[in-house]
Amino acid sequence: MSGKKVARSSRGRLSPIDFLFHYEFTVHFLIFVSLILIFAILSPGHYFISPKNIQDFLALAPEFSIIVLGVGMLMICGEFDLSIGSIIAFDAYIMVRLFEITGNLFLAGFAALGVGVLLGLLNGLITVKGKIPSFITTLGTMMLWRGLVYLLTGGYSIPFTPETSPSFSNIFVGEIGPVPVQIVWFTIFGLILLMLLHLHKFGNWVFATGNNKEGARAMGINTDMTKIICFAIVGLLSAFVAITISVHHRTFYALMGQFYELKAIAASVVGGTSLFGGIGSMPGIILGALIIPLIENGLILLRIEYYWVYIFYGLIIISFTILSRYMEKKRLEEI
Amino acid sequence: MEEKLVETRNIHKWFGKVHALAGVDLEVGYDEIVGLVGDNGAGKSTLIKVLIGYHEPDRGEIYFEGKRVNFASPADARKMGIEVVYQDQALAPDMSISRNVFMGKEPTGSLGFLDRRKMDTESMKALERIGLHLRSPDVAVATLSGGQKQGVAIARVLYFRAKLVILDEPTIALSIKEARQVLKFVENLKEERISVIFITHNLYHIFPIADRFVVLSHGKKVGDLRKESTSIDKLSELIVSG
Repeated sequence: MSGKKVARSSRGRLSPIDFLFHYEFTVHFLIFVSLILIFAILSPGHYFISPKNIQDFLALAPEFSIIVLGVGMLMICGEFDLSIGSIIAFDAYIMVRLFEITGNLFLAGFAALGVGVLLGLLNGLITVKGKIPSFITTLGTMMLWRGLVYLLTGGYSIPFTPETSPSFSNIFVGEIGPVPVQIVWFTIFGLILLMLLHLHKFGNWVFATGNNKEGARAMGINTDMTKIICFAIVGLLSAFVAITISVHHRTFYALMGQFYELKAIAASVVGGTSLFGGIGSMPGIILGALIIPLIENGLILLRIEYYWVYIFYGLIIISFTILSRYMEKKRLEEI
Repeated sequence: MEEKLVETRNIHKWFGKVHALAGVDLEVGYDEIVGLVGDNGAGKSTLIKVLIGYHEPDRGEIYFEGKRVNFASPADARKMGIEVVYQDQALAPDMSISRNVFMGKEPTGSLGFLDRRKMDTESMKALERIGLHLRSPDVAVATLSGGQKQGVAIARVLYFRAKLVILDEPTIALSIKEARQVLKFVENLKEERISVIFITHNLYHIFPIADRFVVLSHGKKVGDLRKESTSIDKLSELIVSG
């Protein structure tokens, strides 16, 4: 073993995949911290680290970050989901309309979650059974659901009054003391998926399917089911986010979730996930999921024109992928 | 007659008009290493695919441990203890040795969470049994040499109590040192009372360790010789002229 230190968690050694990525994780973590410092120093009045901004960030960022958790895991499994933004919009529409019709928020919310899972399953089934690259499947479903939403709403927004049921709203946008519940949800989902990916046998199947699908099948792993489950998780998280956004902003609007799919892929790549599948880690994905909104927040506070954000995304994806490959090469040389 | 581990009797297989296997009788005894040799297109891969249930034979029977068997799929064959180590070894390069050894058969505690301590210790033990000494079960398989990768794949089938291990060109593209390492692993398999079918082009590799040679040519068996009664030159001659 080369002379790298192994970080040991209190629960015992992290899984072997994490071991490989501790080296890379440290780099990502340093980048995360550096960004915070840069924005803290440069933002007018150091507003970036003011309690108000931190609280706003912790409330808003999860509206994006939660989905990245699922998207990252799906990418490790070797697939992409470009339809997440459209699932968000369609799901939010379903919930808001059901609430209009039934007046029952919990029913509408459950239905939305169910629809999300179903749409995810659909993506998975078409990809796996139709043997179509997920890129193409989800490109299709992306347009399908978004198109349907436009058709049904004419592009108009629909107001939403979740405050009629504070118990429902508080689940998604309440506060626990000073802490917005959204970040608590992000932490919960993050921990669940961390355990699933790195400590559970399903996670082993996810990595194997992404790293050597034919080999995994030869070993008896049901790669089809593994992929379908990952798609379903993405669908569920999309639905959760759809509900959160609708409750937070008290509206449905047809453009909800726009560009989420590319941002989520960028966030996963920033977190060390390979675009080729089989490589990645949940700690990295969690970091990447936070870094992207962090950069957006920082740029806004620095009064930098918003369009620069997209240039940043492009640069980030390219440079992080190059960095990952470089570090992988170095790692192989050392051993 | 002494019971054989595996017997195929009069196996025929057609692919369209191509008569890929024309009445092949293959036997593998207990604790035996059989070298399955022959030129390209001789039918070696096809015979194996029929044996493990990937293809159904058009004619003929297969017997395993004395009983007639009919494998519907490779999964059936695996349940009976027949394992194949493919050329790419079905290993995930960026996953650790222990995760690879237990791929698809992960030992778990409650609720399906991995028993990682068991995975680590058992995978190292399995490697030791075939004579592969590595420092840690945590390293990614991609960092191993070609010979070591074959070792991991072989240790895997050993751990899961294979009775018959089929190796498909295991020494191809390996350096001389690595090839010798793999041959040692195979000999250790025999010591573990596991029989081996070793498919290869390279007579120099298989000759030292095999007990018997089965030579195929154009879908037919043209030779079935114990090592004592033949030589590399004679086998070569059979392959080419048979």
